[in-house]
Amino acid sequence: MGDIQESADRLGNAERVALDQGRKKKTTYFYMMLSITGLLAFLVLWQFAVMTNLVSSRFLSTPLEVINLFVVKLSDPFPDGEVLGINILSSLNVALAGFGLAIVIGIPLGLFMGWYRGFDAFMRPIFEIVRPIPPVSWIPLTIVWLGIGLQAKAFIVFFSAFVPCLINAYTGIRQTSQVLINVAKTCGASNFTIFYRIGIPSSFTMVFAGVRVALGNSWATLVAAEMLAASSGLGYMILMGRQFARPDIIILGIVVIGSIGVIFTFLLGRLENRLLGWKRL
Amino acid sequence: MSMDEKKIRLRLEHISQSYVVKNEVRCAVDDVTLDVYDNEFLVVLGPGHCGKSVLLNIIAGIEKPVAGQMFLDGGRLLKSDERIGMVFQKLALMPWKTVMANVEFGPEVRGVAKGERRAAAQKYIDLVGLTGFEKAYPNELSGGMKQRVGIARAYTNNPEILLMDEPFGQLDAQTRYAMQEEIMKIWEMEKRTLVFVTNNIEEAVYLGDRIVLLTRCPGRVKQVYPIGLPRPRDTVDPQFLRIRKEISQNTDLAL
Amino acid sequence: MKETPVLSSAEKKELRLKRIYLLLPLLSLALLFLLWILAATGTNKDSFPSPLAVWERFLLIMKRPVKDYTIFGHVLQSLRRIFSTLVVAWITGISFGVLTGWNRKADALLSPLFTAFRSVPPLAWIPLITIWFGTGEGSQMLIVYTGCIASIVVNTQAGLKNVAKMYLDVGTVFNASSRQMLFQIAIPSALDAVFAGVRTSTSAAWMVVLAAEMLGGKSGVGFLIVRGMDSLDLPLVLMSMIFIGVVGAMLAVLTQIVEGVLCPWTRKKSA
Repeated sequence: MGDIQESADRLGNAERVALDQGRKKKTTYFYMMLSITGLLAFLVLWQFAVMTNLVSSRFLSTPLEVINLFVVKLSDPFPDGEVLGINILSSLNVALAGFGLAIVIGIPLGLFMGWYRGFDAFMRPIFEIVRPIPPVSWIPLTIVWLGIGLQAKAFIVFFSAFVPCLINAYTGIRQTSQVLINVAKTCGASNFTIFYRIGIPSSFTMVFAGVRVALGNSWATLVAAEMLAASSGLGYMILMGRQFARPDIIILGIVVIGSIGVIFTFLLGRLENRLLGWKRL
Repeated sequence: MSMDEKKIRLRLEHISQSYVVKNEVRCAVDDVTLDVYDNEFLVVLGPGHCGKSVLLNIIAGIEKPVAGQMFLDGGRLLKSDERIGMVFQKLALMPWKTVMANVEFGPEVRGVAKGERRAAAQKYIDLVGLTGFEKAYPNELSGGMKQRVGIARAYTNNPEILLMDEPFGQLDAQTRYAMQEEIMKIWEMEKRTLVFVTNNIEEAVYLGDRIVLLTRCPGRVKQVYPIGLPRPRDTVDPQFLRIRKEISQNTDLAL
Repeated sequence: MKETPVLSSAEKKELRLKRIYLLLPLLSLALLFLLWILAATGTNKDSFPSPLAVWERFLLIMKRPVKDYTIFGHVLQSLRRIFSTLVVAWITGISFGVLTGWNRKADALLSPLFTAFRSVPPLAWIPLITIWFGTGEGSQMLIVYTGCIASIVVNTQAGLKNVAKMYLDVGTVFNASSRQMLFQIAIPSALDAVFAGVRTSTSAAWMVVLAAEMLGGKSGVGFLIVRGMDSLDLPLVLMSMIFIGVVGAMLAVLTQIVEGVLCPWTRKKSA
């Protein structure tokens, strides 16, 4: 290490920069290869485990079979009754309905509770009672009340997304800097003006963190809702895979669910960067 | 005063440090050559961000310089050495350890038996005036007290050379004066070679046997001032003020 | 020497407001209760059990247990299930988190794989797990494991990746070995984060155990809910939900207390 650095000093500045960049590129490349190796090794091991009958194909299908099924499933409704595209749309529909509702209700509620003490005192006990009940345990009651349609599932998803939206909006606006509030006060702003000109923008970062958690929650809860009360959707599809003892269907479902979750996270990250660009400076 | 007879403990030869930042070479320390004498209180003075801390980090072995060599008692110094201790600018007390556990960290790392290291730690806890706070956590202490813990921690490892990186930079003015007296007192009781970094001219003149003045970024040695004033020094003594003014006029403005 | 406090009008107003704020929570609770009673009367009787019905169902299950357990028995079954799983999850999760958080090569090799697994919602593993191991105790615990492992690993990993450089510098100056760096500095400084993981994983486990029990258990609160739904015994469902909520809240408080005991420095902030 010492020798490399000492020799580096004898180089000119341009060469030093080039050397440094080269070294950086090399390490990035090395670690990237390591990551790819890890993933590939896993897939190959998996493929071999099934092909050599180390694991029975009744329990596990190979990655290649899953890819194959993906193509087939695009146009084949067997065994759960819908093609893959319809299942995805059906799931997205439910998840986004519940998630959207949670945002529209949860965030304003959290903001108001965080800003107005009286409203907080009134709403807080109700929220604290609802909060610790896991969304999944609402499923039976929901089925009785609303059946197994879109409404019922959206309601369950709503519950899982609502809590983080509200909590983060609440804490976010609570953290508004007192200095900024004082500045606005000396300018003669009313409490409501301060609330929406200073309080709400201050809470954005926290709100976004909450939205991210909420999105993950709704997607996770959706699967549960669809397994317990549905006739289509990705959760229903993997449940049918279980019923028909088709591991390939289950694994395909898992992969699709996971991938959509990743895409969601990515899109939300992009949106956050767009909206909160000033944060990075 | 036998200034010329002093034994050299630490020698820096042509030390340079630079970093590649956003495809540009940024120089932090440029060609610093410096001798530190035995039991001397050496102050490295310079404007903000002039590379003084980098220089200390290099001596402490936290960073490796891109060029130059260091010698400790004639032997090459290549990495962190037990004979060199450090008091950190940002305190760097571990919040999960009690005062006692923080102070005895050095001997503990070296594998010294519990009883022995406890005794050593207790000695310095008493010396910095923190008796009774052994079981407290750093979060419960005031800024000045925290820095005392930092000093006790460095001393407990029994280093021959002690580096102090703007230890009082984050204290309020009152506490700062008190701590300056304190450090002087400790240094006189427990003679060590001390390298003290600061950006405060008054502090430098108050404490140092010699002051090494660095230029603004990149840090180069601009001038060395031996301070012959008797101790304890008086900050409003005309002699003191004259030296202070002289250094002040020669100092680059921090940007 | 009793001074009569002279209050300005603003202070008086403040005092009055404070009293109102104390009353408001009680008011809202009363309103909620009233709504419940209203909802449970009239045409909805069958689909919305009244508080009284829930109370009577509670008394009944204490007298005549469902599947050998009273409600407390079922709660204990669920708790046993999550804690025996959590211990395994904590040990494996913290080890994995420390390994990948501290060693960059291990991180590059293993983390992408872990991220891929993690991006699948835990409940989606249920069909695969039941096809492999049936619906017995073991597979229920495996489901809980998939539900709580992610948060503990992610938090531990983040804790170890974000160890403040100055603490490591202290280690360097005192010549600490890399082993000492890890065990004396990095891991203790990450304990806060690890504990956040412990807390999240506990509440996640409590949620997932319900789903696991609902999809084929023979005991536990999740089983009780499904039992209630199958026999259209809605008071049983609602009673179970209340217990689930209470226990969930108690778990959250409990983990906080344990954290305070195990990491005393996070409790005491400078005055």
